[in-house]
Amino acid sequence: MDLVESVKMATATLTGNRLRSALTMLGMIIGNASVVAMIGIGEGAQRFAADQFKSLGPNVLFIVPGNDKARNRTLNIPKTLVLGDAKAIAEQVPSINDVAPQLQNQVPVVYGSKRKSTLVIGTTERFAIVRDYNVARGRFIAQQEVQRGTPVAVIGSKLAETLFGQKNPLGERVRVRGLSFKIIGLLASKGSFLGNNQDDVLLVPLSTLASRLTGRTSPYGDEVTFISVSAKNQSQMAAAKTQITNLLRLRHKIVTEDDFTVRSQDEALSIIGAVTGALTIMLVAIAGISLLVGGIGIMNIMLVSVTERTQEIGLRKAIGATQADILIQFLIESIILSAVGGIIGIMIGAGTVVMVGVLTPLKSSVSMPAIALAVSVSGGIGVFFGVVPAQRAARLDPIVALRSN
Amino acid sequence: MRSEHIPSQDSHRAAVIIRLEGVNKVYGLGETTVNALKDVNLTVNAGEYCAIMGASGSGKSTMMNMIGCLDRPTTGHYYLDGEAVAEMDDSQLAHVRNRKIGFVFQQFHLLSQVSALENVMLPMIYANVPAAERKERAIAALQQVGLGDRLNNRPNQLSGGQQQRVAIARAIVNRPVLLLADEPTGALDSKTTQEILEIFGNLNTEGMTVVMVTHEAEVARSTRRVIWFRDGQVIHENLKPEDLMQATF
Repeated sequence: MDLVESVKMATATLTGNRLRSALTMLGMIIGNASVVAMIGIGEGAQRFAADQFKSLGPNVLFIVPGNDKARNRTLNIPKTLVLGDAKAIAEQVPSINDVAPQLQNQVPVVYGSKRKSTLVIGTTERFAIVRDYNVARGRFIAQQEVQRGTPVAVIGSKLAETLFGQKNPLGERVRVRGLSFKIIGLLASKGSFLGNNQDDVLLVPLSTLASRLTGRTSPYGDEVTFISVSAKNQSQMAAAKTQITNLLRLRHKIVTEDDFTVRSQDEALSIIGAVTGALTIMLVAIAGISLLVGGIGIMNIMLVSVTERTQEIGLRKAIGATQADILIQFLIESIILSAVGGIIGIMIGAGTVVMVGVLTPLKSSVSMPAIALAVSVSGGIGVFFGVVPAQRAARLDPIVALRSN
Repeated sequence: MRSEHIPSQDSHRAAVIIRLEGVNKVYGLGETTVNALKDVNLTVNAGEYCAIMGASGSGKSTMMNMIGCLDRPTTGHYYLDGEAVAEMDDSQLAHVRNRKIGFVFQQFHLLSQVSALENVMLPMIYANVPAAERKERAIAALQQVGLGDRLNNRPNQLSGGQQQRVAIARAIVNRPVLLLADEPTGALDSKTTQEILEIFGNLNTEGMTVVMVTHEAEVARSTRRVIWFRDGQVIHENLKPEDLMQATF
């Protein structure tokens, strides 16, 4: 018997019992849909994280106070970075372009009767360059303003919208902790970073914030929350990291344990990548289990089918079907169940991925390796879980089979 | 009766379809063995119309399985249309059943999910007959049994008699040398029984060798030769059907 006839026979049998075929396929549909969806969404999450880090600015290094060991011991982050450190880095480290120290605090910003708790960042004129912010209207903070501690502010687009609505914020004054700041610039929108809206900010000169708002908290000068540094280019990142580390060790007179940490985007990205990757693997493993369960479902139904169709098998053998004919027929039935279930599942999974891509910030997309995985796994499951029932059918004694009820 | 036996060597007589020589069939192992057939010798020639009869447990079912190549003798030889089938493996036997034997069963055994036409085409699928020829031959076979107008009906849309006619069409469509029927009228009423027997009679008239296993004397009487089994042995191998009622065993 040729393969075309076997496929026709299997199709006729499966369409003859639509509800059962559909229910049997359901396991494969769910399994495949979840594998494709999970891989697609997982990759989307990784891409999302990567884009987020890109939005921080090109070739950026971050210097934060404390070290990872200390962070494991206490929530109280030591105040070990000062404005002087930032200046020293700017003057002495050759592999960097720019340095932008920042001191930040979540405080209420008031305009008229409107009040909004916002991240107020005290920084220098270099911030916009290092962190890749663009000014949409007006101008950025100037060097003299940082030196003098002038009460001027550059406002993020989100905060501007909250406080001023459609009104032009330039020239308006907002109050932060009783001090009045004149708005001199409006930032272009930058989107959010890991859930923090980067447009919901108020940028002011670091010295102004330090002297008038937070006060001096470190004996070594104006304390900063962290320092952003942009390296000259991608290849200078490692050099910059080493040079900054050495410089700060000298300045902080460190013998054993650093009281600061230099982080690159790549490091942070690889941490996030590892986390989302592990999460994706876990989700795919769970989806894989549902594929396995789907396969067992197929085997179960095929075994029932063999029992129910014992007489049919007996008749087919009596009129000339060989063991191989029967084996192939039942194997094709289980392959069709798993393959059609797989295809439907892949389509549902792909649809889910596309929908997630449209409705959420996760830039999920249908991954071809995911589809290849799903297709080969479901085909394999059809064969693997189909063999036992098919062999049982093929080995039936036609005499016994014909006389069974 | 032994004188009626036609030896296969006798070449100027009709061709031999079935020849069993010293066939034994033993079921089971050790102490619980059952001798279902004991030293059976039997010859059926081309064009014969025979009934195999006997009480239940007499071995007639085993005989039917043996003749139908569904089973192999424990010892002895069986030649079907000149081929030694006792030594064949399962797939060779499947091939022989496909090409040389047409089965008709008491329970019809039609595939319920496909039409009469597709049921009749089934043996030709296993025989690798090209699709166009399959359809043509299946239609011809159904017309031959008087079902030319029921080609696309499914079994559940047909009466018992019609279903058995589909089964007969399926049995003859591969042009077998032997039509083997196992209680073919067992599930039918007397009127339908007569119709089915008439079809067998017509097929036999056209040259088909027919062997029918039955326990009904009524049915056996439509044949031309009765082979009687008891305790796994042939005790009459050429009884006249008309003598059936008078015979005492």
